[in-house]
Amino acid sequence: MGGMTRGYLLRRVLIFFLTIWIAASIIWLIPRLAPGDPITAMVSRMLSRSGYIRDSAAIIEGWKARFGLNDPLPVQYIRYLSNIIHLDFGYSLAYFPTTVNEIIALALPWTVGLLLIAVFITFILGNFLGAVMVWRGTPRLFRMLIPVGMIFTSLPSILAAIFLIYVFAFLLNWFPMMGPYDIGMQPGFNLAFIGNVIYHGTLPALSIVIVSFGYWSLGMRGMMITVEGEDYMQLARAKGLSPFYVLYRYMVRNAILPQVTAFALTLGGLVSGQVLVEYMFSYQGMGSIIYNAILTQDFPVIQGTSFILILMTALAVLIIDLLYPLIDPRISYERG
Amino acid sequence: MKSHVRRLSLILILVLLLGALATVSVAAQGDVAREDTVIFDIDSSDVPNPTNFNPEVPGTNKNQGAHQAMWEPLFILNYETGKIQPWLAESFTPNDKQDVWTLKLRDGATWSDGVPFTADDVDFTINMLLNDKTDSLSDAPGMQQWVSSVKKIDNLTEEFDLKAPDPRFQLDYFSVRIWGSLDILPKHVWEGQDPFTFTFYDQAKGWPIGTGPYKLTSAAPTQFVWDRDDNWWGAKTGFHALPEPKRLIWVIAPSEDQKALLLSTHQLDSAMNISLGAYQAVQAKNPNVIAWHKDLPYAWADPCPRELNLNTTVAPWTDPNMRKAISLIIDRSKNIEIAYEGTTTASQTMFVQYGGMAPYITAIVNAGYGISPTADVAGGQKLIEAAGYVKGSDGMYAKDGKNLSLNIQVSTDTVEYARSTNVIVEELRAAGVDATSQPLTGSTASNNENQGTFEGSWGLESCGSVNEPWVSMDTLNPNWLQPVGTRANHDLVRWSGDGATAYGKIVDQIGTLPLGDPQIPGLVTQAYKYVFDETPVIPLVQAEKLVPFDTTYWTNWPTAENNYNHPATWWNSTHQIILNLHKASK
Repeated sequence: MGGMTRGYLLRRVLIFFLTIWIAASIIWLIPRLAPGDPITAMVSRMLSRSGYIRDSAAIIEGWKARFGLNDPLPVQYIRYLSNIIHLDFGYSLAYFPTTVNEIIALALPWTVGLLLIAVFITFILGNFLGAVMVWRGTPRLFRMLIPVGMIFTSLPSILAAIFLIYVFAFLLNWFPMMGPYDIGMQPGFNLAFIGNVIYHGTLPALSIVIVSFGYWSLGMRGMMITVEGEDYMQLARAKGLSPFYVLYRYMVRNAILPQVTAFALTLGGLVSGQVLVEYMFSYQGMGSIIYNAILTQDFPVIQGTSFILILMTALAVLIIDLLYPLIDPRISYERG
Repeated sequence: MKSHVRRLSLILILVLLLGALATVSVAAQGDVAREDTVIFDIDSSDVPNPTNFNPEVPGTNKNQGAHQAMWEPLFILNYETGKIQPWLAESFTPNDKQDVWTLKLRDGATWSDGVPFTADDVDFTINMLLNDKTDSLSDAPGMQQWVSSVKKIDNLTEEFDLKAPDPRFQLDYFSVRIWGSLDILPKHVWEGQDPFTFTFYDQAKGWPIGTGPYKLTSAAPTQFVWDRDDNWWGAKTGFHALPEPKRLIWVIAPSEDQKALLLSTHQLDSAMNISLGAYQAVQAKNPNVIAWHKDLPYAWADPCPRELNLNTTVAPWTDPNMRKAISLIIDRSKNIEIAYEGTTTASQTMFVQYGGMAPYITAIVNAGYGISPTADVAGGQKLIEAAGYVKGSDGMYAKDGKNLSLNIQVSTDTVEYARSTNVIVEELRAAGVDATSQPLTGSTASNNENQGTFEGSWGLESCGSVNEPWVSMDTLNPNWLQPVGTRANHDLVRWSGDGATAYGKIVDQIGTLPLGDPQIPGLVTQAYKYVFDETPVIPLVQAEKLVPFDTTYWTNWPTAENNYNHPATWWNSTHQIILNLHKASK
């Protein structure tokens, strides 16, 4: 492999597994440090619904035994580790007999669908604006307007969501205010339904885009400024190349490398969803799952969702590390 | 480059399609017009397990339409009349000793797949609960506590042999006393299934099934669609005409803002509970929205009155006079005005103030054991001073160099709890008690109460009685007493001593009397003397539920004037509401 030794590869893979193991242990431990327990939480919810339960102690003990929560902690830990090796996160405590994998399978496509679009739009828009802010050919007025547009990027996404719901769903009635598709609509593999899903996804996606494109713009702008001072830029201009050609072939292509790295990391984190945005729009994705799991102290769901997030992020980092020498010949992991 | 873009677009569309397909669809049916559809909300952020319809595991949602549209109860308690109305069953009669109950089912009732609903289903369900060795199916503890055995007499008759006389057996378990009731399961589907892991869902087999007039059409984490079953047994047998709504939808509207927006724009016909401010905002946009009362308090009182509990094992609340002092200092009217914006009423006793409870509440109040809606701060301070406390320069009472403090834990489950607690804390501090509130998650607060590891707790533990007093009174019965650190089901304040023992004996006696027995009001008054004297519970206010109904598409919603039953659309009794709805255009 160009620029990479076998020792480095082994070390990197070892670190990958070590990271996964440490992170998996932490996500097993943290929920257990919190006061209360999931079974009591489950029975409390029953109690708050029905107002009265004849013998809650019997129900709690029965379910604790069923879930193995009375076993010593080391036994629970070993069982947990052996299960996650097979990506088996067991049953949800709050929604038994549904398994964690079933819950994730139902939510993940919605989150990935929504966030993938939002992240791509954000990436393209942010980098485009970052590039044109530096480019000499950009009209002055446009260059001044871009920072104004970035005011939104200092907002948390939940505020953006509230703003968008109020303006575009309530006042103007252009978009639906909640849900992944129309109330009463029958899901199906047809254009009407797909169009409706996209229509419903617009505001949630927009609320992510408007608060995060500035991050990409600023990053791109910084890189563009650095690139602009390089000798090859002087040469390109001296050669009389068109400004747009210089922008695209010389500036953007060199400046975008670190952005692509960050983008890959962002993709790794996609699976965690956007908890508050999904909550605000009543969107049935991973964010809602995580929110519910925290409220209900549903250990297996918290562990399952966190583990997938960690796995995806660690994988993204590993892949980037391994691909770097291939993408950029200047990077080498060979000794000496 | 162009081909890359095209490929990328295709991938994005595919991902979206996958998302769409992840939603479970039972059967795509033709569109139903809005004016033929009733839309309710579910007070939840999401239903992560939309295809779990096993009513016996604790995590299952039943109020996503399952027990309002599909699973019918045997009987429905009418809160307004206090009477139990027959539904799937015609009668449930006890013997003289009240330890053998005979259930008569309605002839002609069927499951939605056409199989008759018979005593075999009752027999199977009860035996399944009795055979649960772990005692952890939701209805197992109740059945195992009371039922010795069940016997099928004929296809429509089932006999229950109880371990001890229980005059409230029908009321407590089969009559939607509060929220739900024991669901009878179809033997022909459940037989041979593991009752813990069976989800009762199979698209191909048409599961879940019930006896109700609606069948599940689709289930997703954010909405559930139910369509009318025109073969419903009720219409065929003359029990009731088919309900007018062709489709019922339950949607998730997690925040109050969303509920208000949906109600304002006719996208929701009823919401579970909203604040007065939201209700007024909705009415300003949509004047067709109504509530239980036309004017303040607007809200309907749900059956769980709010109260303050002081742990009787924690000094100085071991002293009944100190507990009484706190009760005297609290101004319930002020709590209603500030925390509830006038939407509820003050509690006179520990009981919910429904018509069926009036004889008992009146007897208690007439005996001088009722509590005032206004505060008697001077009276409370006098009791504190009698216990040796002196007010310091900081305005707080102290004894032996230690301030008189009170930590009140409160669940963060709804904002109502915190608002009410904060008003109480301010009143106590103004009177010289160094009170603080401690917000905790619902499960932690509940666990602390059950374990007895709290000092003060804002709660609703007396919840239970609706048309008779025993269930609520039993929540203070020292028969339930457990030491601090051991989980208790009732008597969470750990009330004990001579007064508590005497109280418990009278409550036990009430427990053996038939419902409506003329001795009960007198006995209740005798027992309540101990509650008044020793103040093991400090009643605060009635619970408020402001349930808005939009009359744009549907009329004949339950109101105080049209009170065919209460307006809780998340309860098993909602079948009554749905059958009573009329299209607004008619």
